[in-house]
Amino acid sequence: MAVLDMGVAAHPKPNNHEARTAWGLAAPALALMFLILLVPVIVAGVLSFTNYSLGNSGFDWVGTQNYERLFTRSTYEKMFIATFTYVVTVVPISVGLGLGAALLVHSLGRIGDIYKTIYFLPVMATLLAMAIAWEFMLHPTIGMVNRTLAMACGSWFEVIPFFANGCNDGFPLWLGDRDYAIWVVCFIGVWQGFGFNMVLFLSGLTSVHRELYHAAEMDGARSGWDRFWLVTWPALGPTTVFVVTISCIRAFQVFDTIEAFWPQGGGPNKSAYVMMFAIFEKGVQQNLIGIGSAITVLFLIFVMFLTLIQRRLVERKVHYG
Amino acid sequence: MAGLEVTSLTKQFGETRVLKGVTLGIADGEFVSLVGPSGCGKSTLLRIIAGLETANSGTVTIGKAEVTDTRAADRNLSMVFQSYALYPHLTVAENIAVPLRMREMTSLQRLPVIGGVMPGARHQKHSIAQSVARAADMLEIGPLLGRKPGQLSGGQRQRVALGRALVRDPAAFLLDEPLSNLDAKLRVQTRTEIAELHRKLGATFVYVTHDQVEAMTMSDRIAVMMDGEILQCATPEIIYEDPDDIRVAEFIGSPKINILPIEQSGAELYLFGRPLKWREIGESTRAMQMGLRPEALRLMQSAPHFKGRVAHIENLGAEIFAQIALNDEGLRVTLRASPAERPMIELGAEVGLGFDAAAALIFDADGKRMRKIEIIAGLTPEVA
Amino acid sequence: MTREWWKHLVLILGALIVLAPFYMMVSYSFKSPGEIDRGEGGFFGRQEVMIDPRCVALRQPDRADIEAARSRFPGQDDAGVQAALLAETEAACSMRPVAFNYTKAFTEAPLMRYLLNGVIVTVSIFLIQIVVALPAAYALAKLKFWGREAVFGLVLFCLLIPVHAIALPLYILLAKLGLTNTYAALVVPWTISVFGIFLMRQFFMTVPDDLIDAARMDGMSEFAIVWRVMLPTAIPALLAFAIFSIVAHWNDYFWPRIVVTGNRDLFTPPLGLREFKGDGDGSFFGPMMATATVIVTPLIVAFLIAQRRFIEGITLSGMK
Repeated sequence: MAVLDMGVAAHPKPNNHEARTAWGLAAPALALMFLILLVPVIVAGVLSFTNYSLGNSGFDWVGTQNYERLFTRSTYEKMFIATFTYVVTVVPISVGLGLGAALLVHSLGRIGDIYKTIYFLPVMATLLAMAIAWEFMLHPTIGMVNRTLAMACGSWFEVIPFFANGCNDGFPLWLGDRDYAIWVVCFIGVWQGFGFNMVLFLSGLTSVHRELYHAAEMDGARSGWDRFWLVTWPALGPTTVFVVTISCIRAFQVFDTIEAFWPQGGGPNKSAYVMMFAIFEKGVQQNLIGIGSAITVLFLIFVMFLTLIQRRLVERKVHYG
Repeated sequence: MAGLEVTSLTKQFGETRVLKGVTLGIADGEFVSLVGPSGCGKSTLLRIIAGLETANSGTVTIGKAEVTDTRAADRNLSMVFQSYALYPHLTVAENIAVPLRMREMTSLQRLPVIGGVMPGARHQKHSIAQSVARAADMLEIGPLLGRKPGQLSGGQRQRVALGRALVRDPAAFLLDEPLSNLDAKLRVQTRTEIAELHRKLGATFVYVTHDQVEAMTMSDRIAVMMDGEILQCATPEIIYEDPDDIRVAEFIGSPKINILPIEQSGAELYLFGRPLKWREIGESTRAMQMGLRPEALRLMQSAPHFKGRVAHIENLGAEIFAQIALNDEGLRVTLRASPAERPMIELGAEVGLGFDAAAALIFDADGKRMRKIEIIAGLTPEVA
Repeated sequence: MTREWWKHLVLILGALIVLAPFYMMVSYSFKSPGEIDRGEGGFFGRQEVMIDPRCVALRQPDRADIEAARSRFPGQDDAGVQAALLAETEAACSMRPVAFNYTKAFTEAPLMRYLLNGVIVTVSIFLIQIVVALPAAYALAKLKFWGREAVFGLVLFCLLIPVHAIALPLYILLAKLGLTNTYAALVVPWTISVFGIFLMRQFFMTVPDDLIDAARMDGMSEFAIVWRVMLPTAIPALLAFAIFSIVAHWNDYFWPRIVVTGNRDLFTPPLGLREFKGDGDGSFFGPMMATATVIVTPLIVAFLIAQRRFIEGITLSGMK
């Protein structure tokens, strides 16, 4: 009997100890995940059904009123149009340019590194600073852009209607012009982002097996186009999915340029009134937390949806043995 | 099908001279192996033939046409890569079809959706599918046609690579160490299959390998390469029995040939200080070496040519290879013995050896074979 | 080589567009207001000595000054003395445009303070991120415990939530706690880097178990193992993550804009620049561009020095 007792008493419990340590190590991260990521999502969800404002002691439940406003009021219609215009313009162009630049740079070998560095600079530079620089370049009279365009006056360029009008009536106001404003913002978004995509594509390109190109050559793939479709593009599948997703999420989060150019109002006639700016204006500046939360919830849904699609696509496409 | 010829090819990578003037002619339908140690330039030579690399000087001819400046895609050759290089996103059937699609369909016909409605596309697709099925049957990979390379084993992938190569009718097949990624048993099996494939197709095969057994068993001729040069190109028998260079003798044959030093003093040749009976037809030189294959040595109890102690035994079942440390000069030689002789070659036992004079190969100090020297008889027996 | 000239042409055109605003920003930080208006002067501007109008306005001599200066200009009437004093002031307020722009950048607003804030905030964020993420990553990678899959699932879920997206509720929570306009507000929401946890976990999973068992046999606690065994092996990944984190937070404008409203002392560099723009009149383009240059330069210079690490860090998010 004594032997049995000792046996039982001496039985170690490594698993419990390991488990407790593990929970201890992970505790700060878990706590912060809850407090900083999960709780705010719930808070946003809850508040989107209210008319809360900071400083009020209480609030009323307004049901789906905020969401109804989002889908009926013209301001929010402009918000959706501006946001989607931006995303639908910036993502394909910056992904396409990124891919193109990556292919060119990759084919040049070491000399290409200079271009890689140059194209990556906008990614590193504070967007706000560069946006202000662009704003100045786009100044209607003393900005470099219009000044350069004006140099084409009096030459054959005037055949093109854009130049003809510009030379006569003055070139566009760019940021002050309702028709151009959102496109300028898109341009700056592409300018800032395509270098990032290029670098991602470059790292994808370097992981393509070089022998595959040789096999393609032996199989009769003569042109660069053939090689691209047979070897490069399939190999870049997961990378492309990732680049597109990241670009979309970054595009949805555009804010710096809008707020820098038009601190009040989100562009001429709200043509650049993107969602993040709307959240800022309504929620923080105007203290309309209810509607700000509703926009936040919608925003979250878009972003989560995109990321989930990306994950599904990547999981299904793993076919490299 | 056509013959191949390369003339005076040189190739340099920076400071390193990889090929130092290679000339080789391959007849139509011949199976030629390029064999040699790593870094000897055999893969580079193959790639120059393929067109994937360009030589610094020299020419490449396929059939009657000189193709030195033609790109690989236009040379009508097929290649099997060491890593197989299968397209990971295509099925086996699609992989095998690629050479046909590239060559026989126009780019319009190849477009993803619209291509299918282009004139003639249907017919092309059908004939391509038939060719693919034929190739698959020949290699017995019919059931795998719908799978992707990631789902196949190494041996299966190798067959798909072969299938992709032979689905067309190229002027020649180039194979770059296709068996080196397979395990030993599979390698032996596939060796036979490739040799039979060659017989069935009657095509020209150029086969690169570092494994001399593969070269010996599969080839019509072997080209032994070292340091960027072809040392000898001949049938396996001649390479084995009548090598031009000591390096060829040492590279081919397993276990390695035994090399013993010979001195010449006046008109006498001495091995371990004892005279040999020899005859010369032509000039003579100073230091020489004698090569004796393991099977040229035999146990000699009475009046042995030299004595030694058994240092190591390798029993392979059907034959035994024993390493004997000779009393003279501390050299070791490898002896091939039959299983019946096992009791005589215990580890550490003293044995007497003799050699077959007719099988002795004489090389000069630089390694060149001296065919004019002929050993007539073995050594005078050691004084007991 | 010659076949590729068209590639270079295209790439150079692209490079010109990419570099244009940088060129302009730096160039205008060297130029005088007049040159900026008229768009002249080449890259460096002609660097003709200019007179700072504000400086002169501040030092306008009044009656007392004129009286006091009379002795230095004998034989002059009031107007004469005033003119002479004005000349002196103008001389004192003369400087080359580049000096004007950059000194104004640092004096009109406390740029040094802003830069310091930038450093404090980015470094704090990174350090806390490490302290939070490494132990959790280690637990997920190497320790067995019930609920491990659930925790990892939570990490994957949280990867779907960009912090900027939940800025509003975070702001509300912080406001309720009275923590707006504090360093805490700037730092705390970023301390949890789910991406960092994920990344480190993937990395830790490649560390051989034997290494850890050996440490345990030596008597190390799990906590010590994280810092003494796992951290040293993860230096490259950490470096890349550091760059990723620091660049993102140095350049962040959105969150500080929300959370720092009144207290200028807390401005991060982008906020400082924005303030400059806000109250600048037209003649302050030069100093504003100088501020922009100062803000952008540290990261650019660091990037040029350690390009490969930077690109590794930024593209780490691609290696999921």
